[in-house]
Amino acid sequence: MLAISGLAKSFDGVRAVDGFSVQVKAGTIVGLIGPNGAGKTTAFHLITGFLEPDAGEVQFEGRVLKGLAPHRISRLGVARTFQNLRLISRLTVLDNLLLAFPGQAGEGVGGALLARRFRRQETRNHESASALLESVGIADKAAELAGEVSYGQQKLLSLTCCLATGARLLLLDEPVAGVAPQLVEQIVGMLLRLRGEGKTIVVIEHNLRAIAALCDNVVVMDEGRKIAEGAPQTVLADERVAEAYLR
Amino acid sequence: MDYLLHILILVGLYGILAVSLNLIAGYTGLLSVAHAAFYGVGAYVTALMALHWHTPFLLNVVAGMVVAGVVGVLVAAPSLRVHDDYFVLTTFAFQVIAFSILNNWVDFTGGPMGLPGIPQPALFGLAISSHWGFLLLASAFLTAAFWVSHRLAESPYGRVLKAIREDEVFARSLGKDVTRYKVEVFVLGAMLAATAGSLYAAYITFIDPTSFTVPESIFILAIVIVGGAGNLWGSLVGAALLVTLPEALRFLGMPSAVAANMRQILYGALLVLFMLFRPQGIVAERVGLREPRRARRPRRETRSAGN
Repeated sequence: MLAISGLAKSFDGVRAVDGFSVQVKAGTIVGLIGPNGAGKTTAFHLITGFLEPDAGEVQFEGRVLKGLAPHRISRLGVARTFQNLRLISRLTVLDNLLLAFPGQAGEGVGGALLARRFRRQETRNHESASALLESVGIADKAAELAGEVSYGQQKLLSLTCCLATGARLLLLDEPVAGVAPQLVEQIVGMLLRLRGEGKTIVVIEHNLRAIAALCDNVVVMDEGRKIAEGAPQTVLADERVAEAYLR
Repeated sequence: MDYLLHILILVGLYGILAVSLNLIAGYTGLLSVAHAAFYGVGAYVTALMALHWHTPFLLNVVAGMVVAGVVGVLVAAPSLRVHDDYFVLTTFAFQVIAFSILNNWVDFTGGPMGLPGIPQPALFGLAISSHWGFLLLASAFLTAAFWVSHRLAESPYGRVLKAIREDEVFARSLGKDVTRYKVEVFVLGAMLAATAGSLYAAYITFIDPTSFTVPESIFILAIVIVGGAGNLWGSLVGAALLVTLPEALRFLGMPSAVAANMRQILYGALLVLFMLFRPQGIVAERVGLREPRRARRPRRETRSAGN
């Protein structure tokens, strides 16, 4: 599904990602952990085209993503969330979600001018969006501004936006960091359900209990490299991992 | 009476300019100070074609739009590679260049002497020369420009524009081709501004470079901001207000030499006051898209005190 080999990126001589390789099988949840500054988020930026790698290659479903702009990679079926949430705070929760649907006729000049063409699609997206908001329990917030709902609800919304794009691969940057314990459980449950529906998920997360509950496979990064990989129980018990975190 | 009609015609012209700039600056957040240059492109193309080739007015309008569109692409492509503040500077540079060309390419544009004797238009065999005729024409153009802009603004297209204004990275991550949208909306705005230029040339029958200067661009931007960025109705209100306000000064019995300066001071003061006390403008941006076939919930007051 996702094959990364020898990925490297330096900033002013600092090697943020330094020969990182990993394979992600379809329909699995892979945890990406490691101390701050290990290069996890940079790896996400490299996969999704927001940064251009110095070396190495990313393949998604057999297709090399090199040189593709972020919006193209997104359209291929790779969605992501951001560590510091990115949502349009001056649009409503519903509008943020409607923005995420792919292939909207009304997003082109011609389509927008000939309203008949997009109205039906918009109504349909509207229904899907309402259903999505319902499924994560924030349907009652649909008409509120995204910037004015709680942090946890914003996290749910950004996750829901990823789903609305129809992506098959979700790259989630700290989906449960900073949210209340019961919401952590809800999000973990939701991600497991998504895996059941065939989605492939890579999660960056510091909450190791969530990682243990979620992941089929855990990859540990330190100083831009993979230092360990395996089932959650074995990896989390690994001495090198503990050492990397403590150092 | 003609004086009143003249003011209304000007309101119509500036309405077109403000509505089209609102798409670029208000909705997409691209602060362009080159709008008067595209206004000028429309005016000069129309005037030159009418003077030299005696081509029909509507053809000249279309030609003006095409040329403005092409120039728009040429300006947008390099300008949009840079960000925010630098975008303002590159459009400013273009505006200055455009004025220099109009002012110095004497053989082609008449230079500072301008182009006199531009023929008045005839539509479907009907000559338009009265103020009433031009008011009707200006109203028709404004209606068309407003309709196009409104359709774009209130559709998923407008939603993407706002998303780009608020958070480009988020828009990209959801698969939106941000660069394409920026170029597209800039070019569309330029083309609409050109139609106002065509009207102006045909109405006044004389154009010179002083109508298409940096202060003119800033004046159009002031209409957008005072009227309400991100709300097209605001641009109409803003145009009506800012065009008529200085005219009111005349009736205060101010000597014309003073009034001309007063006008600049008035615009400046108005802009500062709005930035301080009502940055959202007279008609504030409406939050959220109209929901199709569904009762809207009463919206909460969305503006915080510090906004």
